[in-house]
Amino acid sequence: MDFSDRFSIPPHDDPMLYASIVAIVLTSIAIVVGVTYFKKWGYLWNNWLTTVDHKRIGIMYIISALLMLFRGGADAVMMRLQTAVPDNTFLDAQHYNEVFTTHGVVMIFFMAMAFIIGMMNFVVPLQIGARDVAFPRLNALSFWLYFTGAMLLNLSFVVGGSPDAGWTNYYPMAGPEFSQHVGVNYYNWALQISGIGTLMTGINFIATIIKMRAPGMKLMKMPIFIWAALITNLMIVLAFPVLTIALLMGTLDRQFLTNFFTTSDGGMDMMWANLFWVWGHPEVYILIIPAFGIYSTIIAAFSERNLYGYTSMVASILAISALSFLVWVHHFFTMGQGALTNSIFSITTMLIAVPTGIKIFNWLLTMWKGKIRFATPMLYSIAFIPLFTIGGSTGVMLGMASADYQYHNTLFLVAHFHNVIIPGVVFAMIAGLIFYWPKMFGFMLNERIGKWAFWNITIGFCLAFFPMYFTGLNGQARRMYTYSEATGFSTLSMISFIGTLLLAVGFVFLVYNIFYSYRHAPRNIGGDPWNARTLEWATHSPVPEYNFAISPTVHSEEAFWDYKENDYELFKGKVEDIHMPNNSGWSIIFAGFFFAFGFFFIFHVWVGVIIAFLGIIGCLIYRSFEKDDGHHIHKEEIEATEKELGGAK
Amino acid sequence: MKELFPLKQVNGYIFSLLLTVIALSVYFFDMSLAMGLTILVVTAFIQAGVQLVVFMHAGESEDRAGIYIHTIFGVVVAILTILGSLLAMIWGYMY
Amino acid sequence: MKLDPKNLPLEYSTETNKLNILGFWIFLSAEIMLFATLFTTYFVYVDRGVGSGPAGAEIFELPPVLIETFLLLTSSFTIGLAVHAMRINRVKAMIWFMVVTLLLGAGFLSVEVYEFIHYYHIGATLQTSGFTAALLTTLGTHGAHVTMGLFWGIMIIIQILRDGLNARTANKSFIFSLYWHFLDVMWIFIFSFIYLKGMM
Ligand code: HEM
Ligand SMILES: [Cu+2]
Repeated sequence: MDFSDRFSIPPHDDPMLYASIVAIVLTSIAIVVGVTYFKKWGYLWNNWLTTVDHKRIGIMYIISALLMLFRGGADAVMMRLQTAVPDNTFLDAQHYNEVFTTHGVVMIFFMAMAFIIGMMNFVVPLQIGARDVAFPRLNALSFWLYFTGAMLLNLSFVVGGSPDAGWTNYYPMAGPEFSQHVGVNYYNWALQISGIGTLMTGINFIATIIKMRAPGMKLMKMPIFIWAALITNLMIVLAFPVLTIALLMGTLDRQFLTNFFTTSDGGMDMMWANLFWVWGHPEVYILIIPAFGIYSTIIAAFSERNLYGYTSMVASILAISALSFLVWVHHFFTMGQGALTNSIFSITTMLIAVPTGIKIFNWLLTMWKGKIRFATPMLYSIAFIPLFTIGGSTGVMLGMASADYQYHNTLFLVAHFHNVIIPGVVFAMIAGLIFYWPKMFGFMLNERIGKWAFWNITIGFCLAFFPMYFTGLNGQARRMYTYSEATGFSTLSMISFIGTLLLAVGFVFLVYNIFYSYRHAPRNIGGDPWNARTLEWATHSPVPEYNFAISPTVHSEEAFWDYKENDYELFKGKVEDIHMPNNSGWSIIFAGFFFAFGFFFIFHVWVGVIIAFLGIIGCLIYRSFEKDDGHHIHKEEIEATEKELGGAK
Repeated sequence: MKELFPLKQVNGYIFSLLLTVIALSVYFFDMSLAMGLTILVVTAFIQAGVQLVVFMHAGESEDRAGIYIHTIFGVVVAILTILGSLLAMIWGYMY
Repeated sequence: MKLDPKNLPLEYSTETNKLNILGFWIFLSAEIMLFATLFTTYFVYVDRGVGSGPAGAEIFELPPVLIETFLLLTSSFTIGLAVHAMRINRVKAMIWFMVVTLLLGAGFLSVEVYEFIHYYHIGATLQTSGFTAALLTTLGTHGAHVTMGLFWGIMIIIQILRDGLNARTANKSFIFSLYWHFLDVMWIFIFSFIYLKGMM
């Protein structure tokens, strides 16, 4: 069958669509003109686009994540606006489908994943006393592949139509029969490409953490965030290949008419759901475990004491990671399989709550004996504890297979997962961003504006999502673009809309804070403005390219605190030449070919696919023959830099 | 010439051919499904183990603990994924 | 057997090399999951996904599968010998063993191509049923890995010819051998649980 017989472009006419096309074109032109006018191309290329420095890559991830947060946030406001009053006509059904789909995809894959990977990029090497990650070039490639995926998905909106089968992309809804424009092709390729990047990040960080820790940092002396990162990456490496294959099968189904997920000739539509959640449940823990790591770091720092129950924290991370591969069927208890299967997965699901609970108690006990300082990162961490407990408890409710027949696919479920993801992951990332901001940029964010943002976001969150528990229990189904007055959902839906607006205002404060502080915040804040405990704070602010002039020697999981309070010597030895990797434009070019490959594949332009594929192969061959041994930073240079930054470290 | 063919590897090779022949018995002899599967599972996993240890030198470097833990965890998760999916998609409808 | 830390072979001689080898092992565990997903799909579809198409027992043939198995097992042996030759610094022998490995790999691929054409002729194509799609995707993914390995191996041979054996090329060759053995392991599972079980 011909491409044009099967896929219609564009899916539907809409003034908003044209408005956003114009907006996108104008913004792109503005960026190009601006960079040219200020003669910044060289700077951009040399310092950012070709960089292999983990700190810069981390910052690029975080900036992209923030951009995606606003893209996804705009979707969210549109959805709640549509459902704010009954029988609203702001969005039609098809448009609503596209909006909730891109919202979910953007938020999970391109916001949350990018945020945690960016955070790990920035923090992990510093916290283990290393100079970079194990494979710096691969790290840059990971970022550019992620970025390629994100751009592809965002392009779908303008060229050809967005995916419309939900972020879970269930078949047969996502199959060529029911989703007749190229949206789901975009879904497949955008996630495929960025997924490869994520997988490589996983490999990179495991190798980094296993082999590049500072001398003396034994496994049980690693800061808790490092444990979290290690286990997260382990889960990435084992979970993402499943998504790769599932997406491949989806692509074959849609673009080559195979019968994996069809409903005829032996196809099994629910097999997609099965594979998706084999990846998907570990994925939600991939998101939450680094967040737990950030909270542990922040709570210890602002309670001015060591983390309570370090060993049990590590044990519960390990338990969670193992269990998270054993529960996925709880996402489709209602498929029709028998009671035996459901009982097994119900039990494993509820078991996960046990290690999670242990962690909650550890955080509480850390604060119990501590001297708490209520800085904004700490506020988010304190709000996280009760809110996440509610989310976890409703999770356990959902985990009871028989009860789930009532909750499944209602707004109750939507409330559950937002309740764990927003106070869990998003709060952690905001808190982490504020916490590490001075390390990244050399100045602090304003606390007063930060608190305004905090209160708006927290109250907004509660108002937006708690009503959904009630309407959900009353039977309001998820993903419905409207409802009638008679259902009685109107008041609660309106409250939910108001909450959404408050959340949006909170994020505006967050951004305003960046501008405000950039202009007004003092710069000479030293390397350790929070009086924190782990190694990353032993560096200068901003951190020099090579991180540590002398590799630190460690003897506890709070090496920096011991250095400050207990006269422990961190930097033994003297400054020597440092070996660093070279920058390279290879990664971005390579990712560019991937972009072309994905794009042409989506539209069956086989000539383009072949050319892009040859480009990919060419890049691989080039890389195989390339000899790049990096460069050395000389002793004198390091000493000069260190002096300028105020004393050798 | 002889030093190019170390005994360990030659033995490993012969052993893996032998395992293949044993596995082939499920084709040539009439046996129950359970029996056949048992033979296949045993031969395949021994075979994989031989490759891992004899040919891939999994245990020779200073990182062997990491390598073994990671690989074994991977294999365990892989097996659980297969069994769990069968449970959900096939067996779940029978029991 | 452990290596003597004071007298490490070339492929382990630098920090980067050690990182590369460890990184590749981690990558292999991702590959385990990749193939496990394919096996999962295959096992689910083998009985329930046949639809109106043929079942496994109707299309599998023993002879080509046996040839493939023999070729791949032998190539796994020869690449092992190549690494051994590398460690006793017999560069020429090493290159020959690598060439033999790649030839055996190419032989494997030709038989596989023959097999695919055969399936096509008897009406078991990618589009026929869920079962054939799962079967051919699993075999195809493995075959694509072998193809990729062929090109990679050639690159490495060229580099050894050009630069001789040094920390870089030795490292690459060793990692390549890991990859090749891994493909053999995956084939053993395909051979046992797809073909033999299917013909039982
Ligand atoms: C105590 C721990 C948890 C339990 C017992 C639990 C249980 C569940 C159950 C049973 C479902 C499926 C409900 C249904 O579809 O009817 C579900 C959905 C979900 N959960 Fe959780 N959960 C827990 C923690 C988390 C965490 C920490 C996250 C994320 C960070 C999370 C994210 C999600 C998501 C994204 C979905 C479903 C999304 C969708 O269908 O679109 N959960 N959870
Ligand atoms: Cu889940």
